[in-house]
Amino acid sequence: MKAKKVIALSVKYLLLLLGAIISTLPMLYMISTALKPNGALYVFPPRFFPSADEITLENFGYILNKGGFLINFWNSIIVSVITVAIAALVSSALAFVLARFRFVGKKLLFGFIILTMIIPGTTMIVPQYELAVGLGVVNKLMGLIPFYVAWVIPFSTFMIKGFIENIPKEFDEAVYIDGGSLYTVYFRVALPLASPAIASVTIFNFLTAWEEFPWANTVINDDAKRTLPIAISGFFGQHQFTQWGYVFALSALSLIPVLLIFVMFQKYFVSGIQAGGVKG
Amino acid sequence: MKIGTNANRLRVASLLLPGLLIFGAFTVYPILKLLVMSFFEWDFGSMFNQTFIGLANYQEVIQDEYFQIAFQNTIIYTLVTVPGQMVIGLLVAALINSIKRFRVGFRVIYYLPVITSWVIASLIFRYVFNTEGLLNYLLNNILSLTSSNVRWLDSRWGGMIVAMVLGIWKGIGWNMVVFLAALQSVPNELYESAEIDGANVLQRFFRITLPSIRGTILFALVMLTIGGFNVFTSIKMITGGAPAHQTETLLTWMYYKAFSTGKFGYSAALSFIMALTLGLLAVLQFRLMQSDKAGDAL
Amino acid sequence: MKKTIAILLAVCCVGLMLASCGSTPASSPAPASAAGEAPTVPTEEVTLQFWHHYSAQSAENETLMNILIPKFEQENPGIKVNAVSHEWADLHDKLLISAQSNTLPDVARLDSAWIPEFQQMDILVALNQEMSDFDSVAGNLLESAMSTAKIGDDFFGLALNTNTKILYYNTKALADAGIAPPATMDDFVAAAKTLAGTNGDGQQVWGYNEPGLSGWNLCPFIWSCGGELTNPEQTIATGYINSEATVGAIQMLADLYQSDSITGWNSGDIPMTDGFGTGRYLMMLEGPWKTAELAGAYPDLEYGTAPMPAGAGGSHSVLGGEDISMFTSANKEAAWLFLQFMTGEFAQEEMAKCGQIPVNKATMETETVKNADFAPYIEALPNAKSRPTVAAWTEMDNDLMVSVTAVMNGEKSAQDAMDELALKWDALLAQ
Repeated sequence: MKAKKVIALSVKYLLLLLGAIISTLPMLYMISTALKPNGALYVFPPRFFPSADEITLENFGYILNKGGFLINFWNSIIVSVITVAIAALVSSALAFVLARFRFVGKKLLFGFIILTMIIPGTTMIVPQYELAVGLGVVNKLMGLIPFYVAWVIPFSTFMIKGFIENIPKEFDEAVYIDGGSLYTVYFRVALPLASPAIASVTIFNFLTAWEEFPWANTVINDDAKRTLPIAISGFFGQHQFTQWGYVFALSALSLIPVLLIFVMFQKYFVSGIQAGGVKG
Repeated sequence: MKIGTNANRLRVASLLLPGLLIFGAFTVYPILKLLVMSFFEWDFGSMFNQTFIGLANYQEVIQDEYFQIAFQNTIIYTLVTVPGQMVIGLLVAALINSIKRFRVGFRVIYYLPVITSWVIASLIFRYVFNTEGLLNYLLNNILSLTSSNVRWLDSRWGGMIVAMVLGIWKGIGWNMVVFLAALQSVPNELYESAEIDGANVLQRFFRITLPSIRGTILFALVMLTIGGFNVFTSIKMITGGAPAHQTETLLTWMYYKAFSTGKFGYSAALSFIMALTLGLLAVLQFRLMQSDKAGDAL
Repeated sequence: MKKTIAILLAVCCVGLMLASCGSTPASSPAPASAAGEAPTVPTEEVTLQFWHHYSAQSAENETLMNILIPKFEQENPGIKVNAVSHEWADLHDKLLISAQSNTLPDVARLDSAWIPEFQQMDILVALNQEMSDFDSVAGNLLESAMSTAKIGDDFFGLALNTNTKILYYNTKALADAGIAPPATMDDFVAAAKTLAGTNGDGQQVWGYNEPGLSGWNLCPFIWSCGGELTNPEQTIATGYINSEATVGAIQMLADLYQSDSITGWNSGDIPMTDGFGTGRYLMMLEGPWKTAELAGAYPDLEYGTAPMPAGAGGSHSVLGGEDISMFTSANKEAAWLFLQFMTGEFAQEEMAKCGQIPVNKATMETETVKNADFAPYIEALPNAKSRPTVAAWTEMDNDLMVSVTAVMNGEKSAQDAMDELALKWDALLAQ
């Protein structure tokens, strides 16, 4: 019996390990290519790992020292951080009201917010661009943030609402009895207790803002205001020529912040999604 | 809870307002504008004096043979990748849930593909599946399983299959996290009593686990279907629609029509046809999951 | 839980902090394009917005930013130029979207293939009508290059640089096979077949690479084999795109593809530059930009160049190149000064140093140009022809790609595919 359990457990770990390798291979390949000289992608025989004598930090050196990519990195950080911060505040406020109060048209409103998720964002570029022109935010980082916030509101609100509905109402009532207002409940009960849900949508939202390409490419013109995905696409040449080493080096560096955010918030991830997703 | 006093009404409104303002201005307004565009002739020649043409754009989209190919491809992509991701994701979640050590480690590793950007993941897949790429080198030169290099990317279905493999690979992590959350909320007592009744692993899975996580399955189903319809970057980077637009999906075709041929009215109409299809599918999924027992539905 | 709030608050604070410092550079003054209607007052500073697709990391871009623009601004006090680099396809899309909302730049460097499209949108200035000294300015530039900006009787830009494609070949491979660089189309076909096969590593190699199946790729073969796309007036395709010579050219390429002698347009093929650099493709038709790219990525590769192989129709490559145009919303006087500067002797010679083939007749006579790497291209230019300059070209080009793909994959005969294509093109040309 015990031997059987050991075997079963070993099989489980083996399966998981196999999957883990498949999950990480492409990323390892990205890093290994970034460490090879620029023209080495299609040499024969193909090598997964760079050979000892061809390992070079030239690609990373170029990215960090020349080409001004630090400003792109910085822009992406600004845009993504502000986006997730605003999205967390406004979505949790929306979710709190929708979870706790009854008013005319509430179901309709929530349904409508959810419904907009089925319209693909890419298709809205033309009307959105006209709006950005009207607001005078073309070629500014402010031309990105509110649009990103608006895109992530439906999913964020949906997830946080599900979570708040699972928080016992007694917590609210205790605050009201102590003479607290609705704001007190929102700030002292809803926000802190829903923080796992907020943390998990923050992971999603950060990624959305961090890797968004078509819209940023449309709104931003100047080099100094570009975000990372646009900077990366600058390496794809018109004439069938790509500097692979630079592309992969910059991409590898661009993963770091997303990874940091995930590791920072991941312990709230499971509990955060639980209520939101399960309740639907 | 009822809102009650006027003062409270104001407070509720003040909480709703910022979100609704941003949402209204930056999402709802463009959608309405897009809807208007879909009824106008709006392209290169008529960019500054559009004429109302009713449903003609919609008619043109539906009769377009490339739209039909793109529609088929998108449906097939969704039909393959959504169950694919869910089944593997659920399996991984169940495995992680049943072990004690390295749980966090596996969780982070399996989530890595989710946070790799689509552009980079597509580039890597394109290289791996290149006719002269890593996979063929492995199959042909190292393992000698094939006698010549397989041309993975050069046909309609070859290209679609690679895009689908990428879609599944990249989606497993998200499903794993979502299902892990659901599995951990299934009460342990249910399993214990089933074990006493002598139910084996599979029986426990189908009789207890699946019914208990029905809500999550529906949630994942709807979200992933939306995601499947939105497939764009991978196709654009891997095949670019080649050969001869045979691997276009709804969004890549829409993008092509809008930005390469300037047919904005056409692409607006296409967006709403796509949204309508998604809406119908979502309703269907809700019906299916609510009327049947979870076991029958799957 | 308290920790989470702390994190969130910290995130918010950082966010607000970033917002305040992020917004400072973002509040630059509005572009001068609004002042376009009024005559320019010399005391008022004008900023010209100039969009181009010199790639961001290129020598061309450095010359533009560090030599040309400073010099122009010094010569023209009161005019500033804000130059912005976009990726080639992105520039097209961005101009399209900007046109929708009247936020076009003042001046742009346009692929000459886009001119008909933008002209149809009524956003380009007809320079010969607006500028009194147009004739004397245009007279300094090559007529063949200027023709790319001409639609009807009007000119919608000035030629900025020109290019065409010539044959690149792997010196060692040809020497090993004992063949000379192909001078005729028959030689080319024979060479492609001879060079194809397997290399020392047992890897498949191809005699020739063609990275696509659109007009840019097919025209050199069609024209050199004596075929045409349309009649000279560009009103009818039947009898030209499905003529015996044109069909023959397509059939020739299809036969080469079927015998594994050429490839390149499939998604699973090695990208052209990497394949040529690693000796998997032994010939290709490419433009002057390839010299610098190969030197950077594959410095050890030995290659030679030759003119487009001559067939029944002669040796005709395809004319590429860029024009510089101003949009109707531009500050026209300042923009015209900039257009003249960019096509003037100084700027043309500086750009020639980074491999851009000049169009200014005086610059063509300088030592810089005579000694440049691109000398072989200049010889090929007089015989190079331009693709149809009609607004429907994008659509026609797409139809061509679809039809020829079917021929290559053996789904249709070349004659059937071209007959069908001719009917489609007739309809598009009639619009």
